[in-house]
Amino acid sequence: MTIKVAARNVFRNRRRTVISLLVIAIGLTILSFVLGFVGEAITAAQRSLAMELGAFQIGDPRVLDGKASGLEALISPEIAERALALVGDLPGVAGVTTQVRFAGLIGDETGSTLLLARGIVPEDCMTDYACLIVAGRGLEGSDAREIVLGERLAQRLGVGPGDRVNVATGTVSGTLNAATVTVVGIVQYGEAQVEERLGFVSLGFAQRLLRTSGVERILVWLDDLDQSTAYAERLAREFAAEQFPLAVRTWDELTPFFASLQTFWSAFSGFATLAVFVLVFFSVLEVLTISFLERTREVGTVRALGASRRRVFTGFVTEGLVVGVVGGLCGVVAGAAVALLFNSLGLTFVPPGGNMPQPIRVAISTSTLTAPFLVALGATFFSSLYPAGKNARLTVVEALRSL
Amino acid sequence: MQRSGFCYVNGTPVLETRNLIKDYPLGRENVRALDGVDFTAVQGDFAVINGPSGSGKTTLLNMLALIDRPSEGEVLFEEKPTSRLTEGELALLRREKIGLVFQTFNLIPVLSVAENVEYPLLLTRAPRGARRERVAARLDEVGLSGFGKRRPDELSGGQRQRVAVARALVTQPRLVLADEPTANLDSTTGKQIMELLQGLNTDHCVTFLVVTHDPSVVDYAQRVLTIRDGRIQGEEKRGAPRPA
Repeated sequence: MTIKVAARNVFRNRRRTVISLLVIAIGLTILSFVLGFVGEAITAAQRSLAMELGAFQIGDPRVLDGKASGLEALISPEIAERALALVGDLPGVAGVTTQVRFAGLIGDETGSTLLLARGIVPEDCMTDYACLIVAGRGLEGSDAREIVLGERLAQRLGVGPGDRVNVATGTVSGTLNAATVTVVGIVQYGEAQVEERLGFVSLGFAQRLLRTSGVERILVWLDDLDQSTAYAERLAREFAAEQFPLAVRTWDELTPFFASLQTFWSAFSGFATLAVFVLVFFSVLEVLTISFLERTREVGTVRALGASRRRVFTGFVTEGLVVGVVGGLCGVVAGAAVALLFNSLGLTFVPPGGNMPQPIRVAISTSTLTAPFLVALGATFFSSLYPAGKNARLTVVEALRSL
Repeated sequence: MQRSGFCYVNGTPVLETRNLIKDYPLGRENVRALDGVDFTAVQGDFAVINGPSGSGKTTLLNMLALIDRPSEGEVLFEEKPTSRLTEGELALLRREKIGLVFQTFNLIPVLSVAENVEYPLLLTRAPRGARRERVAARLDEVGLSGFGKRRPDELSGGQRQRVAVARALVTQPRLVLADEPTANLDSTTGKQIMELLQGLNTDHCVTFLVVTHDPSVVDYAQRVLTIRDGRIQGEEKRGAPRPA
């Protein structure tokens, strides 16, 4: 009965109620859009990082923590083999590969420039650079003398697929080594600065060039990214038990900027949530205050009939919640509709420092819709407390005297 | 047991006031609205409290209805003092033992006629079946059995007052207090309402106290108390009501 009466009271003054619901719905549409945009931005960044870095990486702790270059602390083939065996025992592993990274020079007789190369195992297909190829093809074979270059680097060198270039680097023993390789493909990479120096070669070729049989790191991808920390901890315990000089770092530990990015977006979302909360709170407070005060005489009547102050208070708060639920549902539906419409436009943008258009999408998920709904519910609940309390505190005689 | 003309009055006091005083602050001074009211209503009484505007009728009614507290003196309900009862205990008494009829009907506009009558039963947490049964019986008694689903704004003034009467009686109270029940009605409808109250007094043997300044209402009373300047000036006992 309380809910029935509250619902009827809410729609007693239709014009006023429609205004309240509109304010809530517009506020919530904006909020769900903002939360969906932020959610998508974080997820996209997470997906992209996890795709490139793996769920976690195994290597020498100095290398993984950026305190030493890869060549200073390579993993020996024997230890790499045993570590890979342990990884193989884990359930839910989507893929494993090994890498070595090195810096060197690339060019021809006319000039050279800095190269930051990654020696990869092309057949593992986990470092998904192949999807970034804009010209030529990917690497073939585990030790072919081939290279895939970043587009900007290729432009700087004036080379394309089929051209030959020289690569020079220091070996693990400190001597110089060089080789001539064929450019087989060109990739576009998200960051322009990286793309200006980036090259992919096969792991076998990289090891020959560096004169080593070791690898710098082992990258592991999981079916469920959320299991990264648990698996990393489990492996770290097993490595410690076997006294391997190896550490395990999850993808987010390897990218400290991601935490900063997440903090920034969370603060932005929090501000938007607070702004909408305040907007809904004050709008609904005004409407409910007027609406409740108009019914002071009714309060006197029900109190005279024996209703307790608490019942009166609960009745008015329930009205506030009915406004919140109806407005919240309208807002959530409108928010989802706007997000769907926005996504259907297929808009893209080029991020600062980037050179590839990225899709701008708005996530539509339980969390991006539930949070605005709870904001509506919370704001209307709190905004109903003051007028409800004021009415409930009146004496019966005062309330009955009201016109 | 004595036949009152309305119902058998057994002499058990339902409501009693002892030296009731009510002061209201007005600026730096106090205005005395009630000045030592002593009054007893027994079971089955049909009493009218009559007086001009500003005489203290409504103030007295508020004290009797336990919705206001006296500055001094005591209101006894069923021979028990009420001055020390908490707000909650007073609300419980009103809920279970007192019915109220207001001058302006005071129906809840968003509720149907049946829901308005049912409202006091919801406060007493009566089971659904019993509620429906009692509501139907009371609406039948006041001649509105086919009007349960209507909203108050679809009724005439007289019909609304009938709903208010049904609501006042639905909890089977010991006492019904009516504040100017005919003031907002034309004389014919007012007469019908008074006849209804009179009939219900006879049928249920409920104590009725009607506050009014309408001389025609006085004719229906078994007892007439005249109040002036906050004091009961006199009491007239009538042997039988005016024939309808």
